[in-house]
Amino acid sequence: MSRPPSKPVPLTDLRAGAQVRLHEACVDHECREWLRALGLTDASDLRLCKHGDPCIIEVRSTRIGLSKAVASRVFVLDGATAITP
Amino acid sequence: MNGTSAVAARATVRTARVALIGNPNTGKTTLFNALCGARARTSNYPGTTTSIRTGTLDRHDHIEVVDVPGLYDLHHNTPEMRVARGVLDAGGAVADLVVVALDASNLTRNLVLAAEVLAYKRPIVVALNMMDLARRRGLVLDANALALRLGVPVIPLVARDNDGIDRLRQGIAEAVARGVVAPVPADLPSGTASLEEITAWAERVSHNITAGTRRAGHDAWTERLDRLFTHPVAGMAAFVAIMCALFWALFTLAAVPMDLIEAVFGRFATLLEATLPPGPLRDLIANGIVGGIAGTIVFLPQICLLFFLISLLEDTGYLARAAFVMDGVLSRFGLPGHAFVPLLTSHACAIPGIMSARLIPDDRDRLATILVAPFMSCSARLPVYVLLISLLFADNPILAGIAFAGCYLLGASAGLFTAWVFKRTVLKGHSRPMVLELPSYRRPSITNALLTAKDQGVAFLRTAGTVIVAICIVMWWLSAYPKTGATPEADRLRAQAAASTSQEQTDTLLSEADALDARAGQAGSFAGQLGHAIQPVFSPLGFDWQLTVGVVTSFLAREVFVSTMSVLEGGVGGADDDGVVDRIRRMKRDDGGPVFTPSTAAAALIFFVLAMQCLPTLTVTRKETGSVKYAAMQLGYMSGLAYVAALVTYVVVRAAGVP
Repeated sequence: MSRPPSKPVPLTDLRAGAQVRLHEACVDHECREWLRALGLTDASDLRLCKHGDPCIIEVRSTRIGLSKAVASRVFVLDGATAITP
Repeated sequence: MNGTSAVAARATVRTARVALIGNPNTGKTTLFNALCGARARTSNYPGTTTSIRTGTLDRHDHIEVVDVPGLYDLHHNTPEMRVARGVLDAGGAVADLVVVALDASNLTRNLVLAAEVLAYKRPIVVALNMMDLARRRGLVLDANALALRLGVPVIPLVARDNDGIDRLRQGIAEAVARGVVAPVPADLPSGTASLEEITAWAERVSHNITAGTRRAGHDAWTERLDRLFTHPVAGMAAFVAIMCALFWALFTLAAVPMDLIEAVFGRFATLLEATLPPGPLRDLIANGIVGGIAGTIVFLPQICLLFFLISLLEDTGYLARAAFVMDGVLSRFGLPGHAFVPLLTSHACAIPGIMSARLIPDDRDRLATILVAPFMSCSARLPVYVLLISLLFADNPILAGIAFAGCYLLGASAGLFTAWVFKRTVLKGHSRPMVLELPSYRRPSITNALLTAKDQGVAFLRTAGTVIVAICIVMWWLSAYPKTGATPEADRLRAQAAASTSQEQTDTLLSEADALDARAGQAGSFAGQLGHAIQPVFSPLGFDWQLTVGVVTSFLAREVFVSTMSVLEGGVGGADDDGVVDRIRRMKRDDGGPVFTPSTAAAALIFFVLAMQCLPTLTVTRKETGSVKYAAMQLGYMSGLAYVAALVTYVVVRAAGVP
């Protein structure tokens, strides 16, 4: 049932359809606050809808587009669906 | 007893303020329009440049509704949040009632804002909008359960279909009359709680009142469209196609009312000239005032239509996707993807371009966009390009075409280069990487688009309109006064005409005499005197006093260049006349040499591409940035750059052996 905790991977390493949990967003304070305002609060569950630039994620019912520069700095957990680089 | 009822009556007559607050993309604008109809007005929130709309609740004239700009939460220190705090905090222009608009299909995140508003302990009504979208997604929401859970009235509705609006209006009126604050839910996170704590609460509430599971069918379409519209190649192709269609519609459809306005005002001026007694008053009314008003209103169809089309496009949800497509291009120059609408619009006219920069969320990005928008070649530059390029490459249509495209390219490149420079100097700071909510795709609302067009049209007339009219009057006065009277040479020609027996010769001589007088009038007018005085500044560019007058008067509005040059040459107006180019080509300096050599024409062309020659635009910049400093910077920078570039052009062309 419980999986060992996986290594955090950036959103850019995931394939579309991946269901993951936010680990850390290594972006500046302003950008982090903006992401939180849009609904990407700490430890939120999210789904990757589209890979690439922009990367599109869905948090609860909100679709958020992220430029690649941001997506590559948003780290998520759950190795099961991540692409191993 | 009587005294008490009189007090009560006065209390009910007092205007109550209702603030409408909600997340962006919750259909709040549609809701506001449905509540207040077309009687809304747009103004800046006191002390800010954030615009808010205010209206009167239909059928309840004592209730004023304030549409607070969309915001996600009250944690974030944004201009929208400061406006929201203003209506929530006691001490400010506090609202008597707060209506929180929630998107029923995205309840958890919307409830975060609701929780924060509840914590202010103000009288609240919740408008649970987009119930249809929630239903389509397979969600069944219990509005009564939500009302019990939050302790405030909850009214389910579909604002777009006017479904539930009457109930909401009734609910607002009752809540205003009651004016009581219900006790907040016991488990509501405090005002200082983190977003995570509030989100956890919102998730619990949302879970408690929602039945059903989300269907995937609706999302499959969204995913497909998103993949297309944000694709690096297909997305760009779709963007180009949509923008071409938009601008084609803009220029084609706006041309009809624009021609009509010009024709009607032209007739009116002729009528006035025929009926009023000759004299300065007739000239002022027929040419100055009527001309000025026509010159303003002629822009109105383009501006209203543009905002109508952009509103439709924004409503569909496409603009958020387009912003990502353009971000890849514009971010290299320090501009956000959002800047594409203002920059593209500025190719029609910088005034609506600058006004539409309100779409840009980051202040520095918005400022950079406003500052560079007038570099885009607007439609007022077109006649000037036509004239100067015809002077340069009359016999070579291919070179003329290249020069034309080059002018547009030079303007756009100078704008992007300037943005790059500004973002590294005066507007230095970390620019926000693109992160945007992608709203659901929806059928656009015609009503919203019409009301937006109306609001923007009124805003344009209010801010720029008055200034344009004033400029046109001043322009007319500067070039018409002081009156110089008939010149001896013209008198001699008229005497010859009187003595002539041939009617044809008489007409020719008389029109030559009129032309001579017009030229002398221009030279002796205040504008002409100014041209003589300023000419030394422009002489390094090869400009004589006549060309200087043309350039200097164009600083008020560049489109007057062709008519000024035509008048200076001695013709009377008639800018569209085929002969005008030839006549201007034959213009002579006081020393007998041509006014326009290839090198001066090239320098003048470069100058017109880059210079900030539009007083109404400067007025709008001042208004939109809230500071005269930025308007001055725009004028100084653009004109300085234009001067240097024109000088370099002149020197290089001369060095290449071209006269």
